Amino acid sequence: MDVSMLQRTYTDLLTSLFREGILNQQFIELQQLQDENNPGFVNEVVSLFFEDAGRLITELISNFNQQAVDYKKVDAYVHQLKGSSASIGAEKIRSVCQTFREYYDKNDIQGCYNCIQPLKQEFMTFKSKLEALFALEQQIVAAGGSIPMMRH
Amino acid sequence: MANLTIEDNFPAGIRVLVIDDDRTSLHVVCMMLESCGYKVTKCTSGKEGLEMLRQEGQFDIVLTDVHMPDMDGFQLLEHVGLEMDLPVVMLSVDSSHENVVKGLKHGACDYLIKPVQREELEKIGEHVITWRRANAGIFDD
Repeated sequence: MDVSMLQRTYTDLLTSLFREGILNQQFIELQQLQDENNPGFVNEVVSLFFEDAGRLITELISNFNQQAVDYKKVDAYVHQLKGSSASIGAEKIRSVCQTFREYYDKNDIQGCYNCIQPLKQEFMTFKSKLEALFALEQQIVAAGGSIPMMRH
Repeated sequence: MANLTIEDNFPAGIRVLVIDDDRTSLHVVCMMLESCGYKVTKCTSGKEGLEMLRQEGQFDIVLTDVHMPDMDGFQLLEHVGLEMDLPVVMLSVDSSHENVVKGLKHGACDYLIKPVQREELEKIGEHVITWRRANAGIFDD
């Protein structure tokens, strides 16, 4: 595939991620921090997120499967997930965390419980889309092209 | 106490300790601070951070997350206030009025809501200058 086609596919994918609300402006802030001195910054920080958020979500789900759910612990996990997703612009994940906390503050256990599956789903979607994005970046660079920057 | 010559090569001379148990958040904040010219040290634990601060003369300002498992930001703030003379900025994804007021009342010189913008971090050097001017003459040199 030639470079310009790859770049076009990349731009289309990135644009759709913003349009669907999977990413927000914060992601562009991260891209702007990336330069020749820190060429892998976005990839690095998103990879950290994949690891840590993945682990948190697994813990969350396992906590909800206990007989006696430790809601304080669950809330702490969601709080951390909210912070990390907000830091990288993972808007949908951040938003589900926000919804969870609103239910938690109202002591609405069913509401909290109903957020867990969507949280997992949004994380899986986010992970697969960003992995596809990074794969395209690698292909573009390997083909000698430069990664198109998005301006908001 | 270090003198005020950091103003000559401001903000390049300013050494920041950033404490956050969330690696993702920490990485982003530190990268932003570095891009502003600050010298940054990372730490993922409140207790470890406090130990580093107790080794005098290493840092000009501390940025700390509020919700951390071993020692939260408010406890850290209290220790720093009692034991040493350093400006503290709090960071949190929690924007509840109650916590912001609590932080500021207990001596934090600022309280930033995550996700923090680079422009907000650019200004933390000013907190160092303000803090030192406010405390000059109170402590022996």
